[in-house]
Amino acid sequence: MAAIDHQKELNRAGANVEGWWQHTVHLARRYPLGAIGAVMVFIFVMAAIFADVVAPHDPLQTSAAHSLNAPDGSMVFGADMMGRDVLSRIIHGARISLAVGIGSMLLGGIIGVVIGLMSGYLLGWFDLITQRIIDIMQALPLLVMALVMAAALGPSLENTIIAISIPLVPQVARVVRSSTLSLREMPFVEAARAGGMSEWRVAVRHVLPNTVAPLIVLGTAQLGSAILTEASLSFLGLGVPEPYPSWGRMLSESAAEYVRTAPWLVIFPGVAISAAVFGTNLMGDALRDILDPRERS
Amino acid sequence: MSTYLIRRFLLMLLTLIGMSIVIFVLLRLVPGNIADIMFDSAGFVDPEEKALLEKELGLDLPIPVQYWHWIKGLMVGDLGFSYVSEMPAIDEIAPRIPITAKLAGLALFFSILFGLPLGVISAVRQNTPLDYILRVVSLSGLSLPSFWLALLILMACVAYLGEIPIYTDTPETLWDELALYLLPSAAVGFRASALIMRLTRSSMLEVLRQDYIRTAKAKGASDNSINYVHALKNAVLPVTTIIGIEAAFLIGGLIITETVFNIPGVAHFLVEAILMRDYPIVQNLVMFIAVIVVVINFLTDLSYAVLDPRIKYAD
Amino acid sequence: MRRDFTKIGALAAVMALGLGFGASVAEAQKSGGVLQFYHRGTPPSGSIHEEATNSTSSPYMGVFNNLVMYDHAKPTNSVDTIIPDLATEWAWSGDGTKLTFKLREGVKFHDGKPFTAKDVVCTWNLVLGKAKARLRKNPRKSWYTNLESIEQKGDHEVTFNLKRKQPAFLSLLAGGYSPVYPCHVPPKKMRTHPIGTGPFKFVSLKQNEKVVFTKNENYWKEGRPYLDGHEWTIIKSRSTRVLAFVAGKFDMTYNSDVSVPLLKDVKEQAPHVQCYKGPNNVSTNLIVNQDTAPFDNADVRKAMVLSIDRDAFIKILGHGETIKSGALLPPPAGVWGMTPDALAKVAGYSTDVEGNRAKARKIMEGLGYNNDNRLKVKVATRNIAVYRDPAVILIDHLKEIYIDAELETVETSNWHAKVARKDYQVGLNLTGIGVDDPDAMFYENYACGSQRNYTGYCKPEMMELFEKQSMMESGPERKALVWEIDKRLQEDAARPIIFNNVTATCWQPYVKGFVMMTNSIYNGWRLEDVWLDK
Repeated sequence: MAAIDHQKELNRAGANVEGWWQHTVHLARRYPLGAIGAVMVFIFVMAAIFADVVAPHDPLQTSAAHSLNAPDGSMVFGADMMGRDVLSRIIHGARISLAVGIGSMLLGGIIGVVIGLMSGYLLGWFDLITQRIIDIMQALPLLVMALVMAAALGPSLENTIIAISIPLVPQVARVVRSSTLSLREMPFVEAARAGGMSEWRVAVRHVLPNTVAPLIVLGTAQLGSAILTEASLSFLGLGVPEPYPSWGRMLSESAAEYVRTAPWLVIFPGVAISAAVFGTNLMGDALRDILDPRERS
Repeated sequence: MSTYLIRRFLLMLLTLIGMSIVIFVLLRLVPGNIADIMFDSAGFVDPEEKALLEKELGLDLPIPVQYWHWIKGLMVGDLGFSYVSEMPAIDEIAPRIPITAKLAGLALFFSILFGLPLGVISAVRQNTPLDYILRVVSLSGLSLPSFWLALLILMACVAYLGEIPIYTDTPETLWDELALYLLPSAAVGFRASALIMRLTRSSMLEVLRQDYIRTAKAKGASDNSINYVHALKNAVLPVTTIIGIEAAFLIGGLIITETVFNIPGVAHFLVEAILMRDYPIVQNLVMFIAVIVVVINFLTDLSYAVLDPRIKYAD
Repeated sequence: MRRDFTKIGALAAVMALGLGFGASVAEAQKSGGVLQFYHRGTPPSGSIHEEATNSTSSPYMGVFNNLVMYDHAKPTNSVDTIIPDLATEWAWSGDGTKLTFKLREGVKFHDGKPFTAKDVVCTWNLVLGKAKARLRKNPRKSWYTNLESIEQKGDHEVTFNLKRKQPAFLSLLAGGYSPVYPCHVPPKKMRTHPIGTGPFKFVSLKQNEKVVFTKNENYWKEGRPYLDGHEWTIIKSRSTRVLAFVAGKFDMTYNSDVSVPLLKDVKEQAPHVQCYKGPNNVSTNLIVNQDTAPFDNADVRKAMVLSIDRDAFIKILGHGETIKSGALLPPPAGVWGMTPDALAKVAGYSTDVEGNRAKARKIMEGLGYNNDNRLKVKVATRNIAVYRDPAVILIDHLKEIYIDAELETVETSNWHAKVARKDYQVGLNLTGIGVDDPDAMFYENYACGSQRNYTGYCKPEMMELFEKQSMMESGPERKALVWEIDKRLQEDAARPIIFNNVTATCWQPYVKGFVMMTNSIYNGWRLEDVWLDK
């Protein structure tokens, strides 16, 4: 076992596999849990994109006749107190969760990349100051920071995204900064610089692309935690407000009151959140194995 | 080493000062102030009376002046008064700290008790069915919304035991206390142990991949002796960091758990104070949390220094 | 500890004959025990005069006495159920503008200082804003606009001088919102550590944890209270606290905390518990900003009122049990509200929803709105389920008449400030009333200049009508006028009432002597007659 099986290593990297489909199948075989996760995420994203088409009912349509109806033929997941279709609300809720998850991940990611790249590249006083700011941002646990931010900004979809994205910034900035620090001394970067490229272009063209792999790994992990944070904020009364059908709020509010009389109100949104986060986490694990060279055996 | 320590200590102070400014300013940008909230229970806002109230609370002063008053108070141990109860903030905060500390300690204990060994097992048995099961369980621990889990636990207790494990009276005996904290700390600990397990697993894997382990294997060392003697010794270092991160991470989980189980600790209190815009409570509590996190980070760095002589202290 | 049953039986018979209180002595009251309640959130303060919420008034009511009070044994408060408290007797002057009370002697505050007429004068001067000490908040100022001054005559007589005749003034003094404060204790102390003459002394309040009261051993009423004290454990999560009650952790739920759907669940899980389910005289209503477009237009208001399907609200939110009403609560629970027959004649209250909406669409079409040109409005409400849920349904109903409404949820911290700025078009609001009397209702919520008249609705002709009914003695004539006023208020969309809420309060079977009031959640919580059969 000490000798490295070169052929196997190449197979693992997918070097001799031809075609996109075969490549996918190969990856799925190699990382079955990751494949399951990817399928879950795919369903989740599709539901969000095509919510208007897929959802059997209007998620906001109230109806006295259907109040707290148990699951049946017309409403597969039952109805909530206001007679709204739970399945449709979950499907539309995917949109909100995804918007919050991806929105805050991207926003936090972009701010983090800019800060990390600049501070790793420029160094000097800029680096010193940003590192201190990041220290400050990391001095509070994610939920505490998001809680204070959410309270400070007031309730709205945009503000929830901002509130969750801010605590995500430091991790991204740290990762990008450390990659930048090691990359800026690399020969190919030196070469580009010698070739007369401006410092900024060198950073964006040569340094940034090489930080993508760890960023994707970090991003998927953050996506899951952003979705959960939104649910927690909703539970504490500071999340995405009505009329958006947020999973967190569906679960935490009136649902909790009807937990015994109408358990479908508690079970289905809870399963939806858990499945979505579970899916992203499974996928994230596999991505880390695939993309992070240190994790590769 | 000592210059490193001094430098590290000064940076820590700087972080805390920065934090105090950030939280102070942030709170005062919040739409809706305490005066509005206090009028809420009277069902109206009267601008004149509100102005008088703001003056009484010192909210009409410029923010830098208010900040100076706060910091000046902190220096002599005066945290100000809770707007809501009109009691000294220290009397509101201090009695709640031991409650949260006990809960956090118990949760940390659970999470290490389960997370560490399972992480090692999962790494050693990498890519076996056992590893898959452990990974799926730990991932699900990180995927369940914690309040959902806590609510399900509560409901199960009422349905099957006819008893609800929530905090309504100050426990008298140690056993009462343990019984009361057991479920909430398990709820927090489940998530935390999942995190510890995952981090332990990956740091073990990294160590297992290193050359000297391969060499040991090649030399024919038995599987067990390799895994536990060689690898764990080297995996201790990252695990120390994990536990450091963990302690800070727990505070987030405690907010939810204390709320669901109605435990009157600081984490639950923080949420209430934020919702009530009780600035003196929020700013002092947030600073308290920040101090804990920063000090833990500092201690983690120190333990690193002690545990791993290879680390240099230039930066 | 053998009891002499014959003696007790004979005594009971004598008392039943002599006093006509057969029911109350059917069981011999036992003293002792601490009653455990849960509470929904930390009370904002202990000063009843400064708050307009039962978060304060329910737990703290037992700390105080009034001059007069509503009889706690009779569930429906009315002029006929007012009994003496700190005042032993009272009399009106011939022109009905002076109300004189004779005060009980030998009563002491919890701190040992004697109660005198001076304390009564101080209390109402505080409410009028005439005292040196100042209330931070004064939510019931509007109740006393007709009160000119208070005079004391010696230590045990006090006279309220009114500007004009107001027979219902006595009713205002009988509710839980009218306690007598000690003159020597400053308002700040009353907020943090209130002192009164009542059956229970305040012990401590720990935020988010517990409020504790203990028996006043020197209470002036012989043999009262039965309880050694009462404690209120604060639990914010409603599902948690109701589960805790079901599991037997508490003797009693919080005042009106159990919603109709939850009650079903409670009854299923704990069939032995006693519950009072009924109206709580808290209405869910709309506040309509009549100063800005589009609701400055009376026609748009009328169309909106016609579009509301009250039965749908009642079915969804109250499981068919909440009550269709005007501003005042209808009988039998209330005294002054319109009966269903009278209500049916008010615009928008008939069951012909489609007919109403057709009329509403006509009005809207007349104003140039149709399916292609829809009116856009915002419905603002607080970010709390009891406020938000009806708002969602309202939006759904407005869709039917070419109005696209968007929900705007407002944090509690900003709500009243926003309303005060008139920064809304239509809002959804809850209104509870301290005393079931038209004077309290109209002057607090619909009169010019009242701080709690959120919409700033102010019509001189309505003010005249308010005054006219206020000067009348309670009786059929006053009731007829009150109905007329209520009808006009509803049709004018001053603050359209959607329904009157129904909730439940539950207690374990061994809790005795508690009677829930049917027409005000702010009365009936003195707890001096409550005892534990354990």
